[in-house]
Amino acid sequence: MERKEIFERLNNVFRDVFDDESIVVTDATTSNDIEDWDSLEHINLIVAVEQEFGIKFNMGEVTTMKNVGEMADIIEKRVK
Amino acid sequence: MILTSLTFLFFSIIVILIYFIVPKRIQWIVLLASSLTFLFYNSLTVSNIISVLIVLISAYFGAILIQKYENTKKSKIFLILTILFILGELALLKYSNLFIVTINHINNLFNINKQFNMVSFSSPIGLSYYALIMIGYVIDVYRGICKPQKNILKCALFMSYFPILTSGPFIRYDKMEDELYTKHKFSYDNLCKGLVRILWGVFKILVISQRLSLFVNTVYGDINTFNGFFIVIAAMFFTLQLYTNFSGSIDIIMGVSKIMGINLPENFTSPFFSKTITEFWRNWHITLGAWLKDYVFYPLMKSNFIQNIGNFFKKLFGKKVSKKVTLYLSMLIMWILIGIWHGGAYTYIIGSGILQFIYIFLEDLLGPIVHKINEKIGIKEDVFSYKLYQCIRTFLLFSFAMIFFRATSVSNGVDIIKHIFVYNPWVLFDNSSIYTAGLDLIDFRILIISLVVLFIVEYLQRKGSVTDMLFNQNIVFRWLVLYLLIFAIIIFGMYGPGYDPTVFIYRGF
Repeated sequence: MERKEIFERLNNVFRDVFDDESIVVTDATTSNDIEDWDSLEHINLIVAVEQEFGIKFNMGEVTTMKNVGEMADIIEKRVK
Repeated sequence: MILTSLTFLFFSIIVILIYFIVPKRIQWIVLLASSLTFLFYNSLTVSNIISVLIVLISAYFGAILIQKYENTKKSKIFLILTILFILGELALLKYSNLFIVTINHINNLFNINKQFNMVSFSSPIGLSYYALIMIGYVIDVYRGICKPQKNILKCALFMSYFPILTSGPFIRYDKMEDELYTKHKFSYDNLCKGLVRILWGVFKILVISQRLSLFVNTVYGDINTFNGFFIVIAAMFFTLQLYTNFSGSIDIIMGVSKIMGINLPENFTSPFFSKTITEFWRNWHITLGAWLKDYVFYPLMKSNFIQNIGNFFKKLFGKKVSKKVTLYLSMLIMWILIGIWHGGAYTYIIGSGILQFIYIFLEDLLGPIVHKINEKIGIKEDVFSYKLYQCIRTFLLFSFAMIFFRATSVSNGVDIIKHIFVYNPWVLFDNSSIYTAGLDLIDFRILIISLVVLFIVEYLQRKGSVTDMLFNQNIVFRWLVLYLLIFAIIIFGMYGPGYDPTVFIYRGF
């Protein structure tokens, strides 16, 4: 899957989880950039991303990923 | 060994001296030897040695095997086995009676004439702490957050580092590796800062907590005589007693570690300035909350069980409801676990578990509604008076839950609450009665002044480290504060008859 497509689909997931149609994520997007992205929503987001791409993150990745770019890297590797 | 005892004082001084005298590469061995001394100081029995070894050996080999079979099914099997070993021991030694009481209740309920007797197992000091710390360690290895420690003695040090055995904080291997095993140079700055922290902790425990306990014990010991407002005050005093005792212990632990150059995670950040119970728990026993979040709450929320329930509700009621259902369900499970961890009795499950869950649940549910009403009728929320009201409300709610935490049994807790409903506010103003509950006029004055000092320091703490603030002042002021603290402890500390240093609330959990 191309990175561009991953980001398009990620945008949809983010908009759905945070109920905000204006969200556009990039490699550098972090939890500081989205108001409702706290530790609780993080886990909801992770589950939604997993469902969208049909993959599973391991808990190490869940607690250590620093930005959306790192999330996309993992997705890229898994869905090959 | 009690943290405020002379034994611990001399023990720490000797450990710190040896720590800086020996060659730096064996500093960690000094820590290990002193930790083992501390661990078995009161209880060098075969059963204790075995139970310590079970946790150590299963975590040590578990972690190595988990990494060896990384990314295979076997890795997960070893992880589960290791956790089962450690949890099994914890459950057997700490929670057998909880299990027996529950079975007996169920038997009563169905008129089965079989009652089991309570058992009493001795468990090594710190088991509730290091069992969870080691479970965290093997999970971190499984998650690839850290590499397993190949040296079993170093692993043993991580598990038994003596300052944290009595009251925490919970530590993580990836954060502590550098602190525990690396070489530390003596630093005068660390010595001073560590000493101030220790003195502050001793002050909290000996001057405030011990004094509060006299009142609390008197009132809860005779609720027929001391009813109504006495209990209201005792309930608030107990919260303060618990806090000064627990956070004071943490101050001593952090101070001793600081002198050796070892930094530990903070466990409290001025919890009494919290506006909601949710916020309160972010500032109270922080490392336990963080442990549960990473190792219980997250995996639970991600689990198929919770996700399936979520999907079921999503189909019926939509996304918003399903989000809340999974959240509340996971939270309920987590709060019951917090209650159980605090002690194998229903009083803890109610006081520090279910009631806290109900508060947070109601806050989440009613918070937005109250906010809307306030907006409509024009009550400002962003002003000092409203925030003060919120802080006091949080304090009272927490104190109410702590009635169960302090009670000897659930029925005792209910009994105490019943005795609150006696209207006798005059005891507050009638000199002859309020001073009969364990504290006389002078003690009350000392207590109130110390509490004012405590709250000023707590307030300053929200803006940064008070020790650092103190050390930015001029030398005269610094020494003045230090001497005042030392004299306050010597003069107003409670060591006289009736002072029992064994009453450490967070010990033994």
